[in-house]
Amino acid sequence: MSHCKVPALIEAQVEMGSVNELEHKSLFRREDDSTQTKEASLMEQGSLSPSFHEHATKSPKNSVIKSIKIVILSNKLNLLLPFGPLAILVHYMVDSKGWVFLLSLIGITPLAERLGYATEQLAFYTGPTVGGLLNATFGNVTELIISIFALKNGMIRVVQQTLLGSILSNMLLVLGCAFFCGGLVFHQKDQVFDKGIAVVNSGLLLMAVMGILFPAVLYYTHSEVHTGSSELALSRFSSCIMLIAYAAYLFFQLKSQSSSYSRLEEEANQNEEASGEDEDPEISKWEAIIWLSILTAWVSLLSGYLVDAIEGASVSWNIPIAFISVILLPIVGNAAEHAGAIMFAMKDKLDLSLGVAIGSSIQISMFVVPFCVVIGWMMGEQMDLNFQLFETAMLFITVIVVAFFLQEGTSNYFKGLMLILCYLIVAASFFVHEDPHQDCSGVKQVGSSLQADDFTNTKFWGEV
Amino acid sequence: MEFDDEAEHRRLFRVETNSPQIKAVFSLEQGGSLSAKATKNTVIQSFKIVILSNKLNLLLPFGPLAILVHYLTDNKGWFFLLSLLGITPLAERLGYATEQLACYTGPTVGGLLNATFGNVTELIISIIALKNGMIRVVQLTLLGSILSNMLLVLGCSFFCGGIVFSRKQQVFDKGNAVLNSGMLLIAVMSLLFPTLLHYTHSEVHAASSELVLSRSTSCIMLVSYAAYLFFQLKSQPSFLTESEETWDDDEVPEISKWEAIIWLLIFTAWVSLLSGYLVDAIEGASVSWNVPISFISVILLPIVGNAAEHAGAIMFAMKDKLDLSLGVAIGSSIQISMFAVPFCVVISWMMGEQMDLNFLLFETAILFISVIVVAFFLQEGTSNYFKGLMLILSYLIVAASFFVHQDPDQDDT
Repeated sequence: MSHCKVPALIEAQVEMGSVNELEHKSLFRREDDSTQTKEASLMEQGSLSPSFHEHATKSPKNSVIKSIKIVILSNKLNLLLPFGPLAILVHYMVDSKGWVFLLSLIGITPLAERLGYATEQLAFYTGPTVGGLLNATFGNVTELIISIFALKNGMIRVVQQTLLGSILSNMLLVLGCAFFCGGLVFHQKDQVFDKGIAVVNSGLLLMAVMGILFPAVLYYTHSEVHTGSSELALSRFSSCIMLIAYAAYLFFQLKSQSSSYSRLEEEANQNEEASGEDEDPEISKWEAIIWLSILTAWVSLLSGYLVDAIEGASVSWNIPIAFISVILLPIVGNAAEHAGAIMFAMKDKLDLSLGVAIGSSIQISMFVVPFCVVIGWMMGEQMDLNFQLFETAMLFITVIVVAFFLQEGTSNYFKGLMLILCYLIVAASFFVHEDPHQDCSGVKQVGSSLQADDFTNTKFWGEV
Repeated sequence: MEFDDEAEHRRLFRVETNSPQIKAVFSLEQGGSLSAKATKNTVIQSFKIVILSNKLNLLLPFGPLAILVHYLTDNKGWFFLLSLLGITPLAERLGYATEQLACYTGPTVGGLLNATFGNVTELIISIIALKNGMIRVVQLTLLGSILSNMLLVLGCSFFCGGIVFSRKQQVFDKGNAVLNSGMLLIAVMSLLFPTLLHYTHSEVHAASSELVLSRSTSCIMLVSYAAYLFFQLKSQPSFLTESEETWDDDEVPEISKWEAIIWLLIFTAWVSLLSGYLVDAIEGASVSWNVPISFISVILLPIVGNAAEHAGAIMFAMKDKLDLSLGVAIGSSIQISMFAVPFCVVISWMMGEQMDLNFLLFETAILFISVIVVAFFLQEGTSNYFKGLMLILSYLIVAASFFVHQDPDQDDT
């Protein structure tokens, strides 16, 4: 069955690179004048590089101003960019944590999207294999950066909840919206997607749940050999295994993709003809790398302020930290992917939507989560895979529900609506859920500032 | 399925099949009716065929060695290891004797025999442990056998088969696989309810309700297993015609019917003897190796006990006969979960022991998740090395969980 050999994730990444590019061009107003670009580069840079001679349309070298124009000014979403510096200003001038949190949240959104854009641009130069790998690793770099900052501050629960929320939001909200919107557009028929890949992805999600469940169960049945440290050792071991599994998954996808890449190229060419525009990357390889570094640094800066402001925001808005970490942060962080998945569904490319949504969930559960555990291990932080019973149970049920919805290989607006409603139930559960450890630490959440150390201290010695 | 199994077994394990010589000896020594179907051997010939023809039997001396060590030294660790090694070839020979007997009894009873005696080693170990009142060990050993068959054996088969046939995806009968997954889920359900009843402290008569529930559920599970066998054998006629074609001349059994029965009895007795010592040594080994008892029961014992099945399943997969691998692996899991476990509960009922289906929360949760993961991987009907690797890695996670898991009951005592 050849269709089984086509992994939707990598296909989605590569096709997204090309289709997304076209979508971006048609959706966002942009000055697309490649000849002018080449002339400008000739004038500003002086020397004619060999690559310019070979095939200039493949690797445009832009001046700094052109580059800024293309990357920053061409996207409507970038109107939100000034909110970033504004958030930092507010942080130093006013003491309103709530506003700082909100502004930095809004400020990070366009950065996350531009990061994705820069990664796709770079993927043009590195070929499909490394490009797919890049997308697979950097796809959720925003969550990764936020998590590492939170880890540094010892806010282990926030890390766990943010990552959990990202998994849930990708699986339920993004997928549900994609199915729903696609179903509305194509309400005459059921949309289809590759069942084989969906089933394998469900199996992988289940395996991730297994890795997260066992330390939690070990802890809750009080059956550890060395109380307090067994569970951490198990978490670290399981994390290494999950990272190996993720590497094998990528290897397997890329191996079975190389045989079908020619088919992708044909499709990409068809898309090209259909839209009448070219697929060439807009910025050169080194520009892409430089922008990638700049955007990453910018995201890191804002994330620092964001993480600091979480507790204050929870206090001033009077909602549980769990809700902010699990629901609010991921929705904003995934906004760009969200929009992309919905657009793919409305163009009847459900495999790409699935690749974005479920692929992102797998990335986070099988890569980011164990990676954070390993990073915490190196930092000396005690992050483990024990996500506490409430969150673990919720994740487990959600994965089973999604797996069942996916196993048939078809979609319609009803399935999408069901998934969205499930997400609302999950969100409501977290709205009224208070982390038991914060209660037992003896410090009231509302009305006082919580020391970050309390999270680590109460993690193992506090009883549920 | 059982017939292809036997043919494969014969080709896989080096066996001296020299039928004319055997028939000649037979006509000399016994003078009875000549029948190609019922070769009668002398005791020496029989011994040669059964004992000396298999490389694995080199491990046989470890059995008596273990008993020697038991009486000479006080080293429980070594003793445990040696008896473990000694049981491995016996388990394999028991399977061989069962197949031989199945040649004479026809496909139906033969299938039944294989289905019942397939895991007789685990059954014997469990019954002896029950006699010693080591209920937890019984539960953990059977649980470990289920997990090892579902995850490790199946994973290795998929992985090795996938590497050999890396060009394509191997396929297997999806309907059968889904049915088997359903059976495993039913078994998990039967184990889950008594556990939940206990943990929600919602029994009508505290402490006895749960036992009553376990016993009645066990009877129902045995009835389900009988129905499952019946259903499989009834729907087998299509398999029969297929296997008759592959039924070549070397399908002739090597030992006579009575020999097979006698050897079956001998091996069973031998396994029981060694198991007795094995079970006695578990706690001592756990202390001297500094490893939790649950790890020994759940991970070490089943891996050794299933060694022969393991090798068989991998070889089937490498020959692109995935249905047979599945039959060995998942079939074995079903046998244990739907037959051996409830059978032990019933046996303990008769013995007056209080074994129940409450496998405790940790073990039940792990079993539940594992069954769901396996069910999802199987439902597509294809396999590749990646799926196999995932199953093996899942087993490593399970093994790691048990390595750091201490039974709360033992803490209390």
